[in-house]
Amino acid sequence: MRGPEDSGSGSDLTVRHVTAGYATRAVLNDVSVVARAGEITGLIGPNGSGKTTLIRVASRGLRPRSGRVSIGEVDPYARPAREAARLVGVVPQEVAPVFAFSVLELVMMGRAPHRSGWGWGTSNDWTEVRRAMSAAEVQHLADRSFSELSGGERQRVILAQALAQDAPVLLLDEPTTHLDVRHVVEILSMVRRLARRGGKTVLAIFHDLNLASAYCDRVYALAEGRVVAEGTSGQVITARFVREVFGVEADVAPAGVAGRPFVHLGPAVAMDQVQRALTLRAHVVGGAGRGAAIMRGLSELGYDVSVGVLHQGDTDAVVAERLNLVRITVPPFSMIDARSAEDGRMLVRDAAVLVVCVAPFGPGNIANLELALEAARGGKRTLVLEQVPIDERDFTGGQAAALWRVLRERAAVFDSVEAVLHTAQEILRDLTVAER
Amino acid sequence: MLGPSRRRLILPGLVVLLAASVLLGVALGAVWISPLDTLRLLAAKLHLVPRPRSIPESTSLILFQLRLPRVLLAALVGAALAAAGTVFQALFRNPMADPAIIGVSSGAALGAILVLLVGAGGALDAMGVPAAAFVGALATAFVVYRLARLGPSVQVATLLLAGIAVAAIISAVISLVMTFSGQDIRSIYFWLLGGLGARGWQSIVAALPFVVAGIGVAMASASDLNLTALGEERAAQLGLEVERFKTVMLGTGSLLTAAAVSVAGLIGFVGLMTPHIVRLMVGADHRRLLPASILGGAAFMILADLAARTAIRPEEIPVGAVTAVLGGPFFLYLLRRERRAAGARA
Repeated sequence: MRGPEDSGSGSDLTVRHVTAGYATRAVLNDVSVVARAGEITGLIGPNGSGKTTLIRVASRGLRPRSGRVSIGEVDPYARPAREAARLVGVVPQEVAPVFAFSVLELVMMGRAPHRSGWGWGTSNDWTEVRRAMSAAEVQHLADRSFSELSGGERQRVILAQALAQDAPVLLLDEPTTHLDVRHVVEILSMVRRLARRGGKTVLAIFHDLNLASAYCDRVYALAEGRVVAEGTSGQVITARFVREVFGVEADVAPAGVAGRPFVHLGPAVAMDQVQRALTLRAHVVGGAGRGAAIMRGLSELGYDVSVGVLHQGDTDAVVAERLNLVRITVPPFSMIDARSAEDGRMLVRDAAVLVVCVAPFGPGNIANLELALEAARGGKRTLVLEQVPIDERDFTGGQAAALWRVLRERAAVFDSVEAVLHTAQEILRDLTVAER
Repeated sequence: MLGPSRRRLILPGLVVLLAASVLLGVALGAVWISPLDTLRLLAAKLHLVPRPRSIPESTSLILFQLRLPRVLLAALVGAALAAAGTVFQALFRNPMADPAIIGVSSGAALGAILVLLVGAGGALDAMGVPAAAFVGALATAFVVYRLARLGPSVQVATLLLAGIAVAAIISAVISLVMTFSGQDIRSIYFWLLGGLGARGWQSIVAALPFVVAGIGVAMASASDLNLTALGEERAAQLGLEVERFKTVMLGTGSLLTAAAVSVAGLIGFVGLMTPHIVRLMVGADHRRLLPASILGGAAFMILADLAARTAIRPEEIPVGAVTAVLGGPFFLYLLRRERRAAGARA
């Protein structure tokens, strides 16, 4: 395998040890990237990591302070703009023409590097324009004014403009931001065909890690102006990577036929929020899946969430595992043993809020109710969700119902998940203010 | 915006409008010259037909020595200002740009006045006045462009303020120069207001080469003007050598403005209104917009001058006053619309 140090061939795009930036600030530091012909190379990384600047450098829009850009053997900065534009086409995030050009006029502008002077285009120009417009699915918009189009339509028109350029290298700066799901899939599949069958070199910025994973042959991750990871999507996109580079907890699992990584952000909690919420924990008493929505909701609010005691295999236990929550579990169909009960008691004691969900109670988990009641009696802020009367979910022959009735005397009772979360949010706000 | 098939009819329509304006322009005045007589005299002048004896010699004299040069000069000046306005609007990425509004006309006037007062000599005037006007226009264009430019495009407010400020400074300098020159400044003052009556064929001969050159360069750059409307970065991505092109276009706009100002003084708003109205008819593509603006500007100028000469006969209003009366409200309307659009975007 060739590394960035080797000289590129054909229409490979090679960025070698590039440092670049604006007046006072270096945005890219010693960045080396190779995008090969016939492949889609992805650029991922947080906002401000230098992705767009790298696209700009590669498109002859920002001369690097040091390092080198080449397309095949050609240094675009050593050639006239027209010649470079025949080698590299760019799809920027946004184009805002000041006057009301029609779609056809705009796509025709993509032929500018091939045309001379005032002409209305050769038959070849028109062939390329038609092809580009049908590939980007904008033929039906030809006579419409660009300013009247929706965001997604505009993005496809700009894509058509770049395709009409018919350059061997295509740089895409977030090509799917404004597109609906169908167009995301169609456009990216089309870009993949251009690479595979047309032999084009594609370098594209992705914000959606799953799209990057699904479509890229090779991925470069940028952070703070440096390449922090490179390789196939499977090598680069891992839970650890997402945590370290984006500061977000996520599940990453192989998916699809190709087994490319799939990032599940679920109720993503940014790490700084987690830090803040470390002392602001909510404990959830759930079971039979009745706690799932509450757990997700509390995580999203910024709470550190613990749950228990649950039986292994219970839906709530699975969800808690997925969300990476602190949890106490006991084996399926067993009683809550003394030690687990004690662990649960400790968690409840240190939690800022206790939420008791509308779970069914039987001999296996009645200990949870005892725990909750004890805490509520001790003055713990307790929120009770009661959408179904206790009698319908009491499988202890009245024992649970008796406990529940005492508990709801001591707690705030709600009839919807939203109401619980709303109150939890206000409590969190109070606590955060108090903390400062 | 009209549909593409109807848009194709606009250019031939404007040619007809211009021809009709010329015939009307030469027809009206103290003596009525019918379009038919005009055509017969023109044909005779070109030796296509024998001199028609039924038309008196005086009519021929009025036509060829007074009316025709004046109408043709109006057309030339109108075409130059409309082309300059179109170029500046594309370059500044701003539909409010106009040679007079951004101060370039004032710069041209200052250059011309300096030569008229200082140079004050026959042979120098023919080339010297337009050349000095060009230098003044170019310098002003660059200064205003530098002042108005913040970020990727030129904001309406900044552009207008920079233009007003620079024009005010130049006006002050013009006043000073005229005060201290001690010569007869009445004619210069009248010229400053904008007028086409001055020197007939001589003015046409002086301005024609500059206007033809300017329009030629602008037309050859029509496709590239489209690219600048997308913003500098995008234009560069599509193969435009942006910095060089901007310089050439500032020069072209200044040249066209200077040619118009040096023969007709300060005539505002033609370069603003014409591209605007024409754009509504033919769309934004400069390959169509530019020729349409040139034709439209020429016709508009002929009609404005016609109004200036015939509205309160035998007095003549400066044609600059006519265009200002029409253009001022139009400008305010545009400004309000632009600001509203900007407000809606914000």
